[in-house]
This record gives sequence, structure tokens and C-alpha cells, in this order.
Amino acid sequence: MFKEIIKIFFVFFIITLSLKADDYKDAMLKAISKLNKIEDNDRSGIMKLRGDFERILQLKKNNWMVYYYMAYCDLLMSQTYMNEKPDKENIKKYTESAMELLNKATDLKDDFAEAYILKISVNSNRWQYEPEKMNDILTKGQEADDLAKKYGANNPRYYLVNGIITYFTPESFGGGVDKALPTFEKSWSLFESHIPEDETYPNWGKEQTAGMLALCYAKLGKYEDSEKWLEKSLEIKPDSGFIKNFISKEIQKAKSK
Amino acid sequence: MLKITVLLLILVKLTEAQEVRVFGRVTGEKNKPLEGANVVIEGSIEGSTSDSTGYFEFQTSRKGKHNIIFTFIGYEEKIISVEIKSEDLQMNVRLRKSEVVTEEIIVTASSFTSGQQSQVTITPLEIVRIPGSDGDLFRAITTFPGSNQVDEGSRITVRGGEAEEVQTILDLATLYHPFVFDDDFNTSSYTTINPWGLRGINFSSGGFSAKYGNALSAVLELKSYEMPQGTGAFLWLGLANIGLSGVYLSKDQKFGATFDAGQTILEPYFRLNGYLIDSYNPIPLARGFGGTLSYKPSSLSSIKAYFDFSEDKIGIRNSGPSYDGYFNSASSTLFSNIKFSAGIGSSFFLNAGLSFSRHKDNVTYGVLSTEGKNTYGKLRFDLVKQFSRKIELNTGGEYEYLEDRFSGRVPLLFYNLRENAPSLNISSCTHSGRAGFYTELQYKPLSSFFIVSGIRTDYHTLSEKIVFDPRISLGWKFSADHILRAAYGIYHQFPSLEYYARSVNHRLKPQQAGHYILGYEFNKNQGVFLFRVEGYYKDYRNLVLSEQATFGYNSDGKGYARGVDVFIKSSVANRYSSWISYSYTDSKRSQYNVLTESPSNYDITHNMTIVASYNITSNLVTGLSLRYSTGKPYTPVTGSIYDSVYNVYQPLYGPVNSERFPTYKRLDVNFQYIFSLLGRFAVAVFQINNVLNNKNLYDYTYNYNYTERKEIVTTNKRQFYLGLGIQF
Repeated sequence: MFKEIIKIFFVFFIITLSLKADDYKDAMLKAISKLNKIEDNDRSGIMKLRGDFERILQLKKNNWMVYYYMAYCDLLMSQTYMNEKPDKENIKKYTESAMELLNKATDLKDDFAEAYILKISVNSNRWQYEPEKMNDILTKGQEADDLAKKYGANNPRYYLVNGIITYFTPESFGGGVDKALPTFEKSWSLFESHIPEDETYPNWGKEQTAGMLALCYAKLGKYEDSEKWLEKSLEIKPDSGFIKNFISKEIQKAKSK
Repeated sequence: MLKITVLLLILVKLTEAQEVRVFGRVTGEKNKPLEGANVVIEGSIEGSTSDSTGYFEFQTSRKGKHNIIFTFIGYEEKIISVEIKSEDLQMNVRLRKSEVVTEEIIVTASSFTSGQQSQVTITPLEIVRIPGSDGDLFRAITTFPGSNQVDEGSRITVRGGEAEEVQTILDLATLYHPFVFDDDFNTSSYTTINPWGLRGINFSSGGFSAKYGNALSAVLELKSYEMPQGTGAFLWLGLANIGLSGVYLSKDQKFGATFDAGQTILEPYFRLNGYLIDSYNPIPLARGFGGTLSYKPSSLSSIKAYFDFSEDKIGIRNSGPSYDGYFNSASSTLFSNIKFSAGIGSSFFLNAGLSFSRHKDNVTYGVLSTEGKNTYGKLRFDLVKQFSRKIELNTGGEYEYLEDRFSGRVPLLFYNLRENAPSLNISSCTHSGRAGFYTELQYKPLSSFFIVSGIRTDYHTLSEKIVFDPRISLGWKFSADHILRAAYGIYHQFPSLEYYARSVNHRLKPQQAGHYILGYEFNKNQGVFLFRVEGYYKDYRNLVLSEQATFGYNSDGKGYARGVDVFIKSSVANRYSSWISYSYTDSKRSQYNVLTESPSNYDITHNMTIVASYNITSNLVTGLSLRYSTGKPYTPVTGSIYDSVYNVYQPLYGPVNSERFPTYKRLDVNFQYIFSLLGRFAVAVFQINNVLNNKNLYDYTYNYNYTERKEIVTTNKRQFYLGLGIQF
């Protein structure tokens, strides 16, 4: 009888254990699939999603991947405040929170290329609210870039993020469409063979690269290529807010010039 | 057994079915609803996120005591213990804004910092890129204001003081001889310290903390990385030198090791730059190797061992009035240090270090033939206790052992160096201990104001003298971009042992300097534009003077140094960086055997350095540096007397340091190109030192009866240098 009880206890223990492990992965996959569908300007949706990720930390304390996704939500939040009249206070709030989370993630896993790539993007937000700290922005950006390149030389998102920064940098400072285009091309060629390490790893950005290629070609007057890339991007993510709200409008502007 | 399992599972299911609702509102200050606050039962993912009215709601099947965690960006976390029963649970929670940490000022007067933080004055990259500094850290520092350097070497002289008045510290250990080619003849010294292994550099040209003892003028404190920054190796192939270095960091980042080795190969470099090879025998040679081992048992503690050995030899032709031949010198230096750091709790830090070094040098020139051996040991510890964000207490102590052995043949008459000249055989061994303690309180009542006050005491066992040094430093950021700084302190330095060896009953007094400093800084956009101006006054007492009658030394010297340092810098990271530093100095003291004050050796009235670097592309950087300064003072020879006993002329000197060399001018440029070579990171450096081939004087020498004066020009003529580094 005693043996039996021990056995039962053991079985029960194993059940709860496996439940726990699955709980984490299930919860992550559920949240990630929500993230893939989220609208760019759905502030309360992004907030809720951030909460979903944050609660997963209760299952796995100090998990760098969860920190990454929370930071990604913060970045999305900050971007909702970047319109004609940017809300600097909120951009700052979410940018600083994202950076803090990414620093935690890289402290825990210092070869986490995805986190460094996101840092480049998050750091560039600072131009919106503290351009006077340009030296620090440039230095931190370079630091993140060096590490992102070191650990993620073949990561398509590295080239996507860099391409976007190059695209928006004035030509006199080494930016512009001509310089950005090859970076997006590189990003695309890497996306084609990119397989995330496992299903909880970041897997965003492919349609953004296609969209940016469409925009670059439109700016260069190659409308046929632009059209082709726009279609491709919509194939990947038909209801992408980034494409609908930003790329399409910018392409129209470029064409009307 | 199966039955029971099923029963259990059903039970679980049953309890799950009985869910209760947890709901409520999350608010911030003034009851403002917080949207996006996270609510979660500790240890589960059950919870919710608040909506725009601050309202949240979720179902749970958990019963009993639980912790509910509330979090929101920019607010303090709140954990509430509750008992979940069978009825719904309402929780209205108010969160408190977390304190905003504002940027604070703690930079003290007269200090120049370099390192990883964003508030540094100069970054390590800017330092190694300074043209004309040959990547040498100390030479780079001579471009900072306060430095009175005018000759080519690496020795730093500060605010009218002598090079010996500057103390160099590496990870708590004192570096007594961090140079190669360091002698009094026309050679250029280089430091043995590799700037890339450094985490932080702090150069303080006056008014420094009570932490530092036995330094009269300035402190250069270097901190190395606790652990290597990765794994890799670097090979350097230069026209004058080759080097190989490597770093290793274990996977779990608990163990690290580094090594570096290098050697000069000067013959091709001399030939290319048109040096007269005959002037050297042997051609200067320096080599060294060193390494570190680090171990990090926990995130708060680390232990690091450091080892370095270097040696050099040189023979340089010198035609003096009484002897024409090669000045030969050979030296070797060994340095070793073990440093231990640990955080004890969250507000208490301990650093301790034990170092040992040994330096040997041999010199021969004519009748002169000497050997010196110095041995040093130092034990040091520092404790830091943070009482709050506003108050920090630093305390610590050190014990230093110094030994100086000197033997050999020295000329009886300083003006007769012939090989057969009358000489004295000297042999001495002097040693002393020094024990020092300090306590310092750092108080920041406001984020814009700080005060650091401290006291230190040192006891010198050989002279049995004790000193007390009170020091105080203030900083006030009176508006966003403007800062005022002030410092006052008493500084003591015991004369070096060679002087004690020739003093009556070792009764030399500790040399003393009082520092008074007042400075202003304007800093726009965190260093995009920086302007600093600082005035200082130093009064010196008990300086070592020689006694003509006894060939000994006494402590009767005195003097002063006063001046103004100006530093203007503008830089944008990865784009350009440029600075101008200007120093006005007036420094007079008793020297040699003359009690009356005369201009000191480094009384350089005007000293200006302009440094600029520009990133042509992200791979190609060019830099320029221009130095312009008043000539160094020297004591003229006004005539001579014939000494018939030895058939030699004795020079007669004019007033000490009453004349000056011509103005010193020099322009250096360099280019650095970063590229990929066979898939490896590579950097190529091309530099031209002294582009305009300005003739700068090192010294004057005379013919046999001192009627003709000859110029000795510095070895730094126009020089081309090319180097290639590869990382693998």
C-alpha cells in the first residue's frame, strides 16, 4: 500500500511537472500568435499582450526570451505615439522600459543576437525625445550594432533594422535610399533561408523587408519592381498595418512627385 | 492505483470548476486610472491587464493564501497577500511612482576621465587615435591641459612639477617604472601599458582624493577589465615593432586569461627615416611580455592576477666636453599584482591588492658605471560603504616597502667623465616602509551638488616622520549646462630613497604641496561642446636640495606653481572629435644647491595642443595634432676654469634655468583604415610625425673648453610609420 502511494505521488508529480513545462511553451506560443496578428495602432491590444508575456515570467522567472517579447511590445507601444505630433513623454517611457528589459535579457544571455538587434531599433527612438544626447545615442547604437553583428551576422532582422536606420539617415550623414537598398536586399536573401532556432524565437520582419524594398524601388522610379515587392509583402502578411498605413502611403507620395 | 489517480484528477477538475472572480481597479497618483498595469497571482499565469479605466478582472480556481503582484511601467511593484475563498474578491490598488534617478555630478576638479560610461571626458578610442602619440597612453595624456610636457617621451609632468611628482596606479598597485627607454639622454621613453586592456582611466592634475598618498602633483589611475571581453587574438606588424596578444574567456564567463608580447625592430625604421645608424650601438631594443589570469567565483566577486616583464637596451653616441663615446643603458622591470574585489551585501564593497615589482638598470658612459636595483612591495585595501544614495564612506589603507640598492663608479668631479678620470666607488642599500590610511566621506545632499571631504595619514619608517593630509572637493551644477568646482588639500611625498641615502641620519622631511583649485565647466549636449577653465595655485615646502659642501641633501627647498588650464572640446561620436588644450604656467622653486627660487624645469609659460580626428567614411579615419609651446628653461654656461691637475675644464654656470630653448613646434598626422582581410578584421595605420620637420632642441652640449655651444636636436624628426593589425 505504502509503495502504491509513493508511486501515485510520483506519477502525480510527473504530471504536474510536465504540465508546468508545457504551460510555459503553450503560453508563449499563444502570446506569440497574438503578437503576429496585432494591429500596429491597437494600443490596448498591445498592452494586454504585454501583460500576457509578463505573466509568463511567473512560470519561468528571469526568462530572457520573455523579456525580449515584453521589450518588443514596449517598442510597438512607443511606435504608436510616433505620428505627426509625437507624444515624447510616452515614447520615452516605453523606450526606456524596452531598453531596461533588453539589458536584462542580454545580461542573462549575452550572445542573444535578437536582443541586440532590437536594441539598435529601440536606441534610435531616443532621437525623438532627447536629440541633445546625440553622443550617447550614437555610442550606444554602435555598441549594440557591434554585438548584433558579432552574434547575428546572418540574421535578416539585423539588416532590416540597419536598412531602416540608413533609409531615414540624411544622405550627407551616410544614409539615403541608395545605401539602404542593398541592405534590404541582403535582409531578404537571408530571410529566404532563415529558420528560427525554435518556435518561440522571434520570427518577425519579413514583410517589412519586402515593404521597404517596394518603397526603395518606388523612390528610385522603378515602379514595376516596387509593385512586385509590395505584392510579395502582402502575400506574407495580408493585413499588415505597416504596409497599409506606412509603405503604401509613402509609395503614393513617391509616385506623385 | 489507477482508480486513485482518476479520482485525484477528477478532484482537480472539480476544484477547477469552482472559479472565483478577482477584480478591481489599479490607480496611480491622484486616483488616476492606470491602463496596462499587470496583475498576476504569484507562481501562475492567472491574471489580467487593466483597461483604460484601470479596471481588471480574471477568474481563478486557486484557493487559500496567495500573493497578487501588481506592476506598471515607471511605478513601484506592489505585492498583496490575500486569502482566496469561495466568493469574488475585489482589490482596489494604488501604485506609487518609482523615484526618477537623475544624472548626478561626481566629477571632481582637475580630473580627466576615460572609460565606458557616457560621462567620460575622452574615450579610449580617441586616446589611441591621437596623432604623434604612437598609440602610447602616456603620450596621449600629455595632450591634456595641465600637462607641461615638451620633450618627446612618455613621462608626464604636471602643472610645473617634476615627473616624479606624478603617481601611476594600476588596479590598486603603484607602477614605479612603467617605461622603456627611460633615461636622461636623448631617447624617447614609451610606456609599457596596453591601453586596450583598460576599463577606465582617470587623470587628476591636482586636488585629488585622500585615497591617493605619496604623490605631490598628480595621479594617473588605471583600471583594467575584471574579465577579458571575449576570446580572440591580435597580431600587429609595424615598421618599428611587432606584437601578438590574445584574450580568452571561458563559456561560463568565470575564467579568463590574456597575454601579450612585443618587440621593437628599429633598424629598418631608422634606415627609412634617415637616422645615422652609427650614432647607435647597440640600436635601441625593447621587448616585453605579460599576461593576466582572472577568476569570477560569483557575480559580485573577482580575483585577478597580473604579470608583466619588460627590458630594453640602448647605446647612443654623445659628444660631451670631457668624453666622446656611447652612452649605454640597459634596464629590466618586472611587475606583478593580485587584486581581489567583492561586494558584501548590496552596499558594501571590498577591494584588496598585493603587488611586487623589481627594476634594474645599468648605465655606463666614460668613467661612469653604475647599477641600480629597486624592489617594491605593496599591500592595499579599500572599503566602500554606501549608506544611502546620498552618503558614501570610503576608507582604506596601504603598506608599501621600498628598497634601493645602488653600486658602481661615479666621477669625483661631475665635469670630468673621461675613462681614466678620478672616481668614487659607491655602494648603498636603503630601504623604508610606508603605512598609510585614509577616510573619505562623499555627500550629495542634492543631485546637483556634492562635497567630498577626507583625511589621510602616512608614516615613513626610515625617517620616522608622520604626516596628516586633509582634503576637500566640491562640485555644484548651478544650471543645466554650467558647473563650478573647487578643491583644496595638503599633499605629501617622501623623497626617493637615493636622497635619504645621502642625507644626515635620514633626516629629510616629507615634501609638501598645498593645492588650491577653482574651475568652471560649460557642457552642452553631453560633450558635443565642452569648455573648461581652471585656475590653480600650489605652494611647495621641504623640497630636496643638494648641499655643495657635504655632497648630501637637505629639505630646505621651497617654491610655488600657479596657472590656468583651458580645455575646449567638441565631438560627435563616430563622426569627429577635436579639442584644444592650453595651459599657462608660472612655476618657480629652489633647485640644485640654490635656495633662491628660479624657474622650475617644467616652467612652460604657454603650452597649447590641438587635436582633431575626422571619420572620412566609417572605415577611414584621419587625425591631426599640433603642439606649440614655450621653450624649456635651461641653465647656461657662461665660461670655464682650467683645472690643471686633471687637464680638464670646469664649466661656470649662469643663474639656474635663466635661459630657454626656442619655441617647440610639432605637427603630426595619421590615417587609420579598417577593412576585412581574408575575412578577418584588420586595421592599417599610416602616420607622419613632425610633418613640417621642425627642429626641436633637446639640449646643448659644449666643446672641451666650453667656448662653443652645439645643439642636440630631438630624435623626433619627420618620421613615417606604417603598421598593420589583424584580429583572428
